[in-house]
Amino acid sequence: MLAHIIRRILSVAFTFIVVSVIIFMMMHSVPGGPFDANDMPVSEAVRAKMMAQWGLDQPLHVQYFQYMWGVLHLDFGVPFQSPGETVVELISRAWVPSLILGGSGVLIGAPLGILLGMAAALHRNTWIDYLASTVATLGLTIPVFVTSMLLILIFAVWLNWLPASGWPQPNRWILPIICYATIPLATYARYTRSAMLDTLNRPFVTVLRAKGLSENRIIFQHVMRNSAIPLVTVFLPMFIGTATGSIFVEAMFRVPGLGAYFVSSIEVRDYTLQMALMLMITFMYCVAYLLSDIIYALLNPRIRVGGAE
Amino acid sequence: MNLMLKIAGALTVATAMTAPSLAQTTIVAPSGSTAGTYMDYMKTVYDRGTGSELLQIPIATFDKEFELTPMAAESWSQSEDGLTWTFKLRSGLVWSDGEPLTAEDFVFALQRAATSGYDFAWYWDFAGGIKGWKEVTEGTAEASTLGLKAVDDLTIEVTTVAPKPYFPSVTSLWYPVPKHKVDELGDDWALDVASIVSSGPFEIESWEKSNNSVVFTKSDTYTGPWSPMIDRLELDPTLNAPEVGLPAFLAGDSDYSFLNTGQVPVATQRFPDGIRQNAVFATSYISYDLDAAPFNDVNVRRAFYYAVDRAELTSTVLKDIAIPAGSILPPGYPGYNPDVVAQATFDPEKAKQFLADAGFANGEGFPDVEIWYREEGGYNGAIIPAMAQYLQAEFKEVLGITLNIRALPGPEWMDGLRGKKNNIFIAPYEYDYLDPSNFYGIFYNGGRHGYFIPEYDELVAKADSESDWDTRYQLYADAEQVMIDQGLIIPLVHPITIAVVSDQVTGDGVQPNSLGFTQLDRLGHYFFTHITKQ
Repeated sequence: MLAHIIRRILSVAFTFIVVSVIIFMMMHSVPGGPFDANDMPVSEAVRAKMMAQWGLDQPLHVQYFQYMWGVLHLDFGVPFQSPGETVVELISRAWVPSLILGGSGVLIGAPLGILLGMAAALHRNTWIDYLASTVATLGLTIPVFVTSMLLILIFAVWLNWLPASGWPQPNRWILPIICYATIPLATYARYTRSAMLDTLNRPFVTVLRAKGLSENRIIFQHVMRNSAIPLVTVFLPMFIGTATGSIFVEAMFRVPGLGAYFVSSIEVRDYTLQMALMLMITFMYCVAYLLSDIIYALLNPRIRVGGAE
Repeated sequence: MNLMLKIAGALTVATAMTAPSLAQTTIVAPSGSTAGTYMDYMKTVYDRGTGSELLQIPIATFDKEFELTPMAAESWSQSEDGLTWTFKLRSGLVWSDGEPLTAEDFVFALQRAATSGYDFAWYWDFAGGIKGWKEVTEGTAEASTLGLKAVDDLTIEVTTVAPKPYFPSVTSLWYPVPKHKVDELGDDWALDVASIVSSGPFEIESWEKSNNSVVFTKSDTYTGPWSPMIDRLELDPTLNAPEVGLPAFLAGDSDYSFLNTGQVPVATQRFPDGIRQNAVFATSYISYDLDAAPFNDVNVRRAFYYAVDRAELTSTVLKDIAIPAGSILPPGYPGYNPDVVAQATFDPEKAKQFLADAGFANGEGFPDVEIWYREEGGYNGAIIPAMAQYLQAEFKEVLGITLNIRALPGPEWMDGLRGKKNNIFIAPYEYDYLDPSNFYGIFYNGGRHGYFIPEYDELVAKADSESDWDTRYQLYADAEQVMIDQGLIIPLVHPITIAVVSDQVTGDGVQPNSLGFTQLDRLGHYFFTHITKQ
């Protein structure tokens, strides 16, 4: 098990380095630079001065190694679009709203989705199943900006129960959290339903039933455990995806989160911020898959790669 | 009973504490771009912090009738040779930290702009014509050689390369920079709310950088004209998109909202008294590569000029989010000339005749052409694609020719225009400063389109330095006549934006001007100091 984890950590480190090189190369291979975005570019003399100030006049490999050397020391540089702070300060400031809203969305949506999926699987082909499937399909097919608009119209404009948008008062969090929760809810309802049906149809369940085990024990002790693997696979990546902000949800609900920076860092060629955001996401996904692997192994010993134990 | 008394007491105290804050008037408004780096207009225009211009007092600015009004300057005068302008500042103006605001702060603002990568630096050459500007921005001369001088604390002298009769209106974008703060902190002065100082009607309270929203408060130290009637101003660029702004407005979270085409009928029905039209002072027009067939023939260009039914275009496909354009100048803009506009009629017979004169009777033998337009958002994004399709149908019907449409990303479109890679374009242009030279300058001496028309250039050059305003406007009208006669462009439409304003917002700022336009935040200094809330 330990060897397996070490192997996975090494492969994660390797992936991280490869991804960093690819991102860096892609970022710089796009024509134009941080001072070319305007219709009215600055004069050559001034441009050269600014490029030198940000170290962008250095050869590309030097820039890469300088940046990564900084990263090793947790120094991600200074964002061009917010030079009064460091990239780390910017991310830790702007991530808070995204993490609160997106994170809550997943933490609320996923359990509800599991319950919905279980209800659907246990009452297959009844109205409960049809209702759950409809909810899941709608949740996955309606774009978030439409969901956001509907929520605002219903709860803020027509019923006037909640504010339409804004930050930071907690009553302004409710609508975006509901909006964020729809996708995990729908995804989990679908995954849980199919995973449970799959497990329920397996011979060992029939055997357990034949042995006279109570239905509750069969469901919660055996079926759930065996259905959990696909749910674990989905959870962490979904959490990361949602809790790092959505440009649509944040724009609709006027949340000062990280979502906007993902777009603006690309638009204005904010290399340091763009690189840091991508590395952060890569790192989080790497760790998420590592954790998923470990949890798999705990849930089902047969998955342990190598099977030495 | 005792408990009831305690609750009543607590409620009284709470009411007493919240009452003053309730009495404060706060306006919540959509604004600008969601990305901003420095809260300093003279450092960056395209990337500025929201409302950075409201923090500072310009030399002069425009009121709602577009009349130039002195702000930091009390008066100005032009030397006899027309080359030197002297601006006298008001006494008693101070920065919000108590330091006096002097002529040196204005001179420093432009000296720094010329040398530190200011993204609007071209303006002070193109519009301002300040002596030595080009040499300094190109790095071949020192900032001290610029035609700018602080004669004493309250006197600024500006020397231009040629007489610039409209220079005072150019100063509406000349804001001071606190030299004492830059000396202390460098550009960092404009990055942090704690170190930002203001000279204008508002002070900064907070700035949320991730969406560039700000909260301003009425300045305690401001003694210039137009003191605010409100206590607080929240400017939020995330409200700028009508899709976000209108729901927030309906829920009472915002005091006005811009509207998209789909929202206009709904809002008009619900708030008939709240609808406002804003003149954008922009023009969309067709331009050509004058050297390439078939548009190298003036008759072809004239045929196209008469083949456009602008009134139908704006009332049908554009649903009145633009008004017909008969001149490069929009209505209400200085120099706007109804006689010029009257010539831009829809006359299918004339159009057909011109095309026949060019040898393409009924469009026979006319090559298929491709019209290029620039992909963009905002009001142009709502107008141009629909307009292109209308023109396609119109030219087919009236002239019998096939027009294909191609949308290109900004840089490629610009490259195509400058490099003459296509022969016909839809081009939008929005003013930078309120003077006809701004619009006529885009065709002067090659300009944006590579048009070299000596007769036109001569008239525009004369007009640019003419100090008699009537003569000047006539010279520009004559220059436009050359454009019409030679079919250099087809003015199509002037975009407008439409907004809905809460009936709780009152004051001159929300009242339409004599032309029927309410500029809202497009005239920020005027608007935000001339509104209040009931």
